[in-house]
Amino acid sequence: MSAFIIDEVKKTFSNGEIEEEILKGVNLSLKEGEITALIGPSGSGKSTVLTIAAGLQKASTGEIMFEGKDMTKMSQEEVRHIRATDFGFVFQSSHLVPFLTVAEQLQLMLDVSETKTSKKEQVKAIDEMLKLVEMEHRKEAYPSSLSGGERQRVAIARAIIHRPKILFADEPTASLDTNRSKGVMELLQELTRTLNLTTLMVTHDEEMLPYVDRVITMRDGYIVE
Amino acid sequence: MKIAWKEMKKNKTRFLILGSIIFLVSFLTFIISGLANGLSQDNAALIKKLPQGQFYLDKDADKTYNLSKIDEGVQQQIFIDNPEATAFSVQMGFVNDAEDKQHSLAFVTSTDSELFENVKEGEIVLDRSLQEDGIQVGDVLTNNQFSGEFVVKGFVDQQKYSHAPVAFIAMTNYQEMYRVMEMQTIFIPGKDAPTLSALDSFSNKEFLHAIPSYSAEQMSLNMIVWFLVIISGMLFAIFFYMMNVQKIGLYGILKAIGMKTISLFKMIWYQMLVITAISLVLSIALSQAFSFVAPEGMPFHLTMDTVWMLSAVFMVVGFIGATISGFQVKNIEPLQAIQQGEM
Repeated sequence: MSAFIIDEVKKTFSNGEIEEEILKGVNLSLKEGEITALIGPSGSGKSTVLTIAAGLQKASTGEIMFEGKDMTKMSQEEVRHIRATDFGFVFQSSHLVPFLTVAEQLQLMLDVSETKTSKKEQVKAIDEMLKLVEMEHRKEAYPSSLSGGERQRVAIARAIIHRPKILFADEPTASLDTNRSKGVMELLQELTRTLNLTTLMVTHDEEMLPYVDRVITMRDGYIVE
Repeated sequence: MKIAWKEMKKNKTRFLILGSIIFLVSFLTFIISGLANGLSQDNAALIKKLPQGQFYLDKDADKTYNLSKIDEGVQQQIFIDNPEATAFSVQMGFVNDAEDKQHSLAFVTSTDSELFENVKEGEIVLDRSLQEDGIQVGDVLTNNQFSGEFVVKGFVDQQKYSHAPVAFIAMTNYQEMYRVMEMQTIFIPGKDAPTLSALDSFSNKEFLHAIPSYSAEQMSLNMIVWFLVIISGMLFAIFFYMMNVQKIGLYGILKAIGMKTISLFKMIWYQMLVITAISLVLSIALSQAFSFVAPEGMPFHLTMDTVWMLSAVFMVVGFIGATISGFQVKNIEPLQAIQQGEM
């Protein structure tokens, strides 16, 4: 069963009098427990699809169905609520909050998602999550003292600490070397399986494809494969 | 508001710089305001110290107190109808001390009243600033318009008029010096003072403007202070706006993970409130300390009413600046905010 459906989504950017259509009608459905990878050359529109799907920007036309409801028809507040509770997002350059420690990044996500558990349970959940991503030893560290791979692990932990239904990852291995990239992909694969996540990721690195369940190729704003 | 506080703790330098600017600008405003109020006090403390009431001048005086001469019959009738009424006159002049040094002052005389110093013939009570000039109780002072001598009986605090220290003298001595029998002004204390058809009446505030040069001086000083307040306020607003616009990338991340807009506003307001409050407390403390170390001759008078009013203005404009930047954060899409932050 499809957990998430993107139907005929188009996106046009205006630059003065010039209008450029970045997405020309994208159709896509994601399944639970699967990692779907969007690949394609630069400018093909894969990151635009991901960010529109994640509610970080609006589609010009089309429908995005999540749990039977069209997100394009929702208010800003409804989309925000979905981002806070049902979605997780891993950015290309991790985008951790620079003045929060590793543990505080996760606590922030629990606060934002308004997770209704006791403080004690939240601390336990944070410890378990950091153990899962093998970052428990850097619990009190600030992002500036972490390596690229460590930052990305923390970003993944932050994206799933509140148990989202869908995880979006925009080139999560782009800033990492091969070994670290493989480590991050193994982690994403394991978390998707164990937590039954629906994961959509963008990558340009074909070495990462063995870790995904489905590969979708984009070119010039269309899905071609 | 833990996140707002954590950011301030981690980025101490940035917030310290912003706080220092607010502290310096508000301190400057307090000092200029204190000097303006000081000059105002220096010009009219004699009148400002009187309670709320009504002042009356002769209708022919064209609303100028030193042209006013109140008819004795009218004055007597007013005193019968209003026992608390006081008549008084003020004229600028000078005295010479034992060393023949001249001191410029404002001679004041009045009918018997608790509102003014009542002195006997040949006696004089002076503003304390003359004591600092070396005049002592018991000294003998002379005036070339007065046939006798004045013996200094004492000093009073903060009694200035037209930037000169006040000298209270007996009515008979005043009449001899200025060759005038009529009093210039009648004052009736109380909110329900009557309207007298024979005389022009003035509230305390209106009467201050009847003092020559007071209006012009106060308008200039108030203009300086309010220009400073407006410019300081705009600076505050611009600094808070810039600080938040610089952090647009951070707000983009927080929006992307689903933080509520109201939480972002609270974060912005909390930081504005903490920085402004700490800066204002420091500048209030320092400006109050300044009043103790200000040079003797410098008229500096900063009341707490003025301090609270200016602080409230700074708080409001800081809040407006922070809120405007908050609306920019509110209206931007998370991805656009993150991309702007990366530029």
